[in-house]
Amino acid sequence: MTVSERGRSTLEDSVVIRGLGKTFGSVEVLRNVNLDVKKGEAVVIVGSSGSGKSTCLRCINRLEEPTEGHIFVGGHEVTGKGVDLNALRRRIGMVFQSINLYPHKTALGNVTLALRKVAGLSKAEANEKGRRHLELVGLGQKADSYPAQLSGGQQQRVGIARAMALEPDVILFDEPTSALDPELVGEVLNVMVRTKELGMTMVVVTHEMQFAREVADRVVFMDHGVVLAEGTPEEILVAPEHPRIREFLTRTKS
Amino acid sequence: MDQIIRYFFDFPLMAAYWPDILRGFLITIQMSILTVVIGIPLGLLIAIVRLYGIRPLNILIIFYIDFFRSIPQLVLIVLAYFALPYFGLVLEPITATVMALAIVLSAFSEEIFWAGISSVAKGQWEAGRSTGLNFTQTLAYIVLPQVVRMSIPPLTNRAIGISKGTTLGSVVAVPELLNVTSSIQSNVANPTALTVGALLFLVLFLPFVRFTRWLERVYAHPR
Repeated sequence: MTVSERGRSTLEDSVVIRGLGKTFGSVEVLRNVNLDVKKGEAVVIVGSSGSGKSTCLRCINRLEEPTEGHIFVGGHEVTGKGVDLNALRRRIGMVFQSINLYPHKTALGNVTLALRKVAGLSKAEANEKGRRHLELVGLGQKADSYPAQLSGGQQQRVGIARAMALEPDVILFDEPTSALDPELVGEVLNVMVRTKELGMTMVVVTHEMQFAREVADRVVFMDHGVVLAEGTPEEILVAPEHPRIREFLTRTKS
Repeated sequence: MDQIIRYFFDFPLMAAYWPDILRGFLITIQMSILTVVIGIPLGLLIAIVRLYGIRPLNILIIFYIDFFRSIPQLVLIVLAYFALPYFGLVLEPITATVMALAIVLSAFSEEIFWAGISSVAKGQWEAGRSTGLNFTQTLAYIVLPQVVRMSIPPLTNRAIGISKGTTLGSVVAVPELLNVTSSIQSNVANPTALTVGALLFLVLFLPFVRFTRWLERVYAHPR
């Protein structure tokens, strides 16, 4: 199901970040970050490691607690006291660098756990939906395999199916291919392209510049905790004005 | 050789004592099972409470664990039987023994479960929480199943070790297997009774060890 099928205005912003700040002790990792992600849009955040891009992503579902600022997802404020975080997180999918599949559950079990316990589906409904999403990532045949029986790429595709099955407003991808062998990266990126084609709103932190160029609607370049530049892939990754970005691109090519 | 057989394997001599031995054996079984069935779940419960991180409670828990892991079981049994009556709690010898052993086992198994919980990757919690599961659900459906699997071997060791402490019940006159067999030994001046006792302990604990090996196999997820 795509986002627009759920009957929301496609003009509505899916994720809105205003004045986000984050400090770890005395270290300031994010400073006054602002970001708008529209429904159905794929925004890719790039930048060197330590630039705060993962932290920024993790603030969106509050796996990291923002120190300052406001974040809205699907019109609801995520930040602030007294929000029903679990209900909100259900609407925010996440795909992890370390994949984090549940090792004691099958691929299907990984996808259906939250469908059963959070969305409250019956076992039959959850299994049906879980299988459908495993098909979507090309792993219908592997429903009964355990994570340890799957390749890294297959595991990450299950991770994506797990996030998608809850039909969230947005999926956050935190360096989804960084832990994979190079030859397994392609299959995961293909599934992400597929996810975008289905109309899913995506915020992606990645080092895959080709993916950013080809798939992103917008690219955000972060450096030392601030958004240095934001624009089309063309503007940021092909002909960047900012010298810092040019330097970054030269280094990633080598 | 003859002497060894005469002293340690004179089974006809035991004929009159079989009912006593059997009764002792049943009491040992009963106490062992109760110790495990109370001690291990109690340990799990304490580990879970500790996880919620309520500071004054955790200080208490850590004191409990350290205290009961350090104190000799024998002392604890004696205290449970002879000291608790002064606080208005009069326990049967068997109850006092089981209570003391179960508490010790709970302290050790808490540490085992706690180590297991600590070793589950942070990403497992994050994955669960990111799908909207709350803390308790993430614990119950994602973390604990993994913890229980990895805790089975060390728990088995502890459970067997502490269950063998049921023999200490003799200090408060529990007619358990070793108590019965060693009195028979004195009565007939022949240690065959102890041989019988040892064999019966094997009969009790070997299936237990086999059972937990089986559990380990069934619970092991493919890797």
